[in-house]
Amino acid sequence: MTEPRTTSPRPHDTHAQPPDLAPDRSGPASPPRPSLRRGLTLHETVLVAVLGVVFGFVYWAFVQLWAPLQLAMGPLADLAANVLAGAWIIVGPLATYIVRKPGVGVLAETLAALVEVVFLASPAGPLLLVVGLVQGVGAELPFALTRYRRFGWWAFVASGVSAALVTFAFNAVRFGWLGQDYALLRLGIQVVSCVVLCGLAARLLGDALARTGALDAFAIGAARRG
Amino acid sequence: MTAPRPTVLERWNPTVKLATVLLVSTAALLVTDPVTPATGWLLTVAALLALGRVPVRTLALAHVPFVVFATSLLVVNVVTRPGGDPVTLGPLTVGADGLAIGAALALRTLFVGSLSLVLVLTTDPVRLMTSLHQHARLPATWTFAVLAAHRLLVELPDAWHTIRCAQAVRDPRRRRGRLPRSPRSLGAAAFALLVGAVRRSERLTVALESRGLGSGPRTTSRPVPLGVPDVVAAGAVLALAGALVAVGMVAGWVTGIGALTA
Repeated sequence: MTEPRTTSPRPHDTHAQPPDLAPDRSGPASPPRPSLRRGLTLHETVLVAVLGVVFGFVYWAFVQLWAPLQLAMGPLADLAANVLAGAWIIVGPLATYIVRKPGVGVLAETLAALVEVVFLASPAGPLLLVVGLVQGVGAELPFALTRYRRFGWWAFVASGVSAALVTFAFNAVRFGWLGQDYALLRLGIQVVSCVVLCGLAARLLGDALARTGALDAFAIGAARRG
Repeated sequence: MTAPRPTVLERWNPTVKLATVLLVSTAALLVTDPVTPATGWLLTVAALLALGRVPVRTLALAHVPFVVFATSLLVVNVVTRPGGDPVTLGPLTVGADGLAIGAALALRTLFVGSLSLVLVLTTDPVRLMTSLHQHARLPATWTFAVLAAHRLLVELPDAWHTIRCAQAVRDPRRRRGRLPRSPRSLGAAAFALLVGAVRRSERLTVALESRGLGSGPRTTSRPVPLGVPDVVAAGAVLALAGALVAVGMVAGWVTGIGALTA
């Protein structure tokens, strides 16, 4: 392995608890993160760009698969949009979980939208850039409130709820959900979807990725080594 | 490039084009009547055919996903939005409100979709990123990171195929010429693809760093021009959109978001 480490690796000390189970809180043991104030390193920038591009592709592929299904389901399809709402936001919390710096989630989500719109032509159109921005902001808000220190399960649940509320408000205008009979049912479904598919799934995926060792050079790897 | 001569839409500065398209499609959100988006859609399609020289066949195929999406929006609004005078559509009777708003949202989807086609069908991605760097002050690191990631995107299908073939080789119950099709294997392949992409991002970083990225101001090898005509074109499009809404207001068919809950 010749990759230079942009964040200094900390020595392995104890493996007292498996990091997957215990919510990692930045207790007094972990040293203050010096990099929080500064911008992203090139290493992190490229990672966020790659995450954005890969997930942009994945979202786009999902949309293509979903379109025939949507037509087949008829009027129920629009409710199915709420069921899947969280799936389109997963890269935001994931990027935040890995890099742990302000703005990363918003950037990754917006970039995924940019890739969908400009490189792959999404049916949602250029507006998707705005959607990506809204989704990213919604999902990142709770992490920003903890100043990017807490990444336990509850932080991800909060991220999902926040993402659901923000995107719902936006989509209520965009798709005319306001004034429909099911507006509240939609909101409920969307909150559950965002908590599961965006918050919790991002944490699971981040842990699985970290377990492969591919993320050792980032904040998540440093936190795992504790 | 291989194209004989770039069309008007292709020559339009990508940053200005992106900004204009984004502005118009965001503004379209605020309008909830069917006439305005329909006119906008017809104008955009005309521009694509005349100024972008997009083949009719390409345009029609690109519209398929939008039509699917628009149909779904129309149906759901007709079904879930009662109220207004009953309208008889063949064997069905539906509310006029649902029909009007559903049609407006469906036409808006077509309009916004055709605007996105202006970007996709007439913009070279590399040119867009270069222009964003030059004119929108996108930092060089981001420009090159996204361009590098775009290269990775192009190679993603090959990587996917390689992983799937590797899975097939290791599968004891494989049949010749068949890739494993269980959801589990698909998930494993997707995860392997993601891990591979993350690892490649490390190599990309090394490559970019070794080319001196991030160590000072950079020059651009193929600069994208930005001139008065680009801005004039944007102004003309925005003026046209404004005129469309103004005419609609005078004639009385334009409605705002308030119509959704009324």
